Amino acid sequence: MTEGFVAVINALPYMLKGSLVTIGVVFGAMGLGLSLGVPLAVGLVYGPGWLRKIIGFYVWFFRGVPLLVLLFLFYFGLFSWMGINFSAFSAGTIVLGLISAAYQSQIFRGAMLSLPEGQLKAARALGMSDVKAILFIILPQALRLSVPGWSNEYSIVLKDSAVTYALGVAEIMARTHFVASRTYQHLPLYIAAGMMYLLMTYIGVKGLRILEKNVRIPGYSY
Amino acid sequence: MARTDNNPVLKVENVRKSFGDKEILKGLSLSVKKGEVKVIIGPSGGGKSTLLQCINFLVVPDEGEVWLEGRKINYAKKRELYAYRQQVGMIFQDFNLFDHLTALENVQIGLVRVKKMDKVSAHERAAAELRRVGLAEHAGHYPAQLSGGQKQRVSIARALAMDPKVMLLDEPTSALDPELIGEVHAVIKDLVANGMTMLMATHQIGFASVLADEIIFMEDGCIVEQGPPTQILLNAQCTRTKEFCAKITHLSADS
Amino acid sequence: MRMRILVGIVLVVSCLFWVNVNLGSAEEKVIINGIDANFPPFAYVDKNGNPDGFDVKSVDWIAKEMGFKVKHQPMDWDGIIPSLNAKKIDMIASGLSVTDERKKQVAYTIPYWVIKQVLVVKNDSDLTPETALANGNKIGVQRGTSEAKWMEENLIKKEGKDFELVYYDSAPLSVEDVLNGRIVAAAMDDAPANDAVSKKPVKIIGGFGMHDEEFAYAVRQDDADLLNTLNEGLKKLMASPEWEELQKQYDLKQ
Repeated sequence: MTEGFVAVINALPYMLKGSLVTIGVVFGAMGLGLSLGVPLAVGLVYGPGWLRKIIGFYVWFFRGVPLLVLLFLFYFGLFSWMGINFSAFSAGTIVLGLISAAYQSQIFRGAMLSLPEGQLKAARALGMSDVKAILFIILPQALRLSVPGWSNEYSIVLKDSAVTYALGVAEIMARTHFVASRTYQHLPLYIAAGMMYLLMTYIGVKGLRILEKNVRIPGYSY
Repeated sequence: MARTDNNPVLKVENVRKSFGDKEILKGLSLSVKKGEVKVIIGPSGGGKSTLLQCINFLVVPDEGEVWLEGRKINYAKKRELYAYRQQVGMIFQDFNLFDHLTALENVQIGLVRVKKMDKVSAHERAAAELRRVGLAEHAGHYPAQLSGGQKQRVSIARALAMDPKVMLLDEPTSALDPELIGEVHAVIKDLVANGMTMLMATHQIGFASVLADEIIFMEDGCIVEQGPPTQILLNAQCTRTKEFCAKITHLSADS
Repeated sequence: MRMRILVGIVLVVSCLFWVNVNLGSAEEKVIINGIDANFPPFAYVDKNGNPDGFDVKSVDWIAKEMGFKVKHQPMDWDGIIPSLNAKKIDMIASGLSVTDERKKQVAYTIPYWVIKQVLVVKNDSDLTPETALANGNKIGVQRGTSEAKWMEENLIKKEGKDFELVYYDSAPLSVEDVLNGRIVAAAMDDAPANDAVSKKPVKIIGGFGMHDEEFAYAVRQDDADLLNTLNEGLKKLMASPEWEELQKQYDLKQ
């Protein structure tokens, strides 16, 4: 076991650099998922029927097709066909972001639907357009309600990011595998990788918990 | 002087609304003159709330016309609709304060986002409106930190900040504990004293009789009878009105 | 207000991410060599995380000799040929054996190495190639390799031998499972097998009847320029004393 321990210690700097790649993928994907998921959710809740159908299809597609299939479909298929030469990192992040947008749209949708109907009515009664009402009244409240849902989504995206190795993204899992192939210390190295994921989950969820407390409306109970 | 103006500020004609098979409003017409206070009474489910929401198109009527200061409102035109709603203050039964904003921000947001007022003036105006309803010291509190009566006063301040030409009040005190009703009534009385034009639905018959220029008794989507408080409350022509008034006066006396 | 800061942070992060994408594409043109970094001693990553191995160093030598820049991109074996054809990488020099099937998709350089397929078992095992590939035994093999395809088509389908193939992401993983006892033997190229023997209590018990294979580099079929450059460079390398040196350095025996 000491051999394994030595292998882990030696590989640690290399694997930690991989965690930066993982963090990059996760943050990029969560950010993209947020900036896409919000308009998707607004469309789902307040959009006309045809738009709801299109968004419904989007959500159905990205939730239904396995991650690996989507990665290959976009990286080798769609992006190449469109003539966009994304790096594996960018492509992996974008695909994870598109998937996360589908899931996040459901989080936001639930949050919006849970707001009392009177909020929108009061905004309209003041003479706000629907766009303003959504922007200034609905979204600020819905986003606050969505923070707990993000914790969940974060840990899922974090773990999904490991699959981007299939495209050649040198994140934690890829690096662990490389080192193991050279040193034949698979078990200790994978245990170390697992611990890194657990730590990142812990830190992320803790961070979101702090965020949740910070944006909580005083006196308001969820 | 204002009360001598004979042109109605708000005129509603032949408003109809059905939800599914159920006809809630069966072709109602009414008008409110400048400085006039009209109070709608009648049993729950009689369409009072729907009528008020139809007037500023929060509920779109199936049929009928609404006029503000002699102009017919074309609610299909968004710009016209939004401009119209700014001039009609709405007070809801359950307050509908924006939960994520402080009392001051609640009053301020319409000024900044709708009237495009600069932040400093909007802040001043909002603070002034909060003072007017006696909540200056609660400006930084969130709705969840306020009592029901305070919330309703904030919502009145929010409506007042927009300089409405007419206010629609949908049972403003019916969601309040009895001991909190008084503070809201005081604010409304103050508004009336300052000449605000109002259309209010309420169950507080005693309060209504003091304030109202006219009381409208509404039942099953129709106006059954309307007239000065003394006539409706003491000398109603219609038996249904009599029964209702007797019941509700009795209840108020109890509490 | 705090919410606005949060949204701001998210937008900034997203922007950085897109800037990163653009910077990535603005780099100067280098030939990207896709490697399966789980294939020691031909291709792997060293202690510092840099690509290393017989193929990596060979290509470095050729690049220097022929005057082009090369970058080695570790990636998943499953995606390596699609990556080449999608222009994500420009060449593959990573113990890629020449098969008729792959010839339809890629263009090969001249072969530079002959490889034998062998079976690896635990040190204390008394299996022979004949007894290993019988009795419903489980045999490990790397997914997507020529040996995997050959065993499936010839030994199982044609000859009707009674064993079951278990697929792994890499040869070293299949060796781990030999040690775990989940499979009785692992089939792989002799070079990684020798690497495994030097690091783990396993032994090679011989071949299993598969023809010898040749390793060559691969490029896209329409990339004649690079193919010529690599062929020329490879010839120079194999004629130079450096070729022997590299074999010694990576403990390879022909």
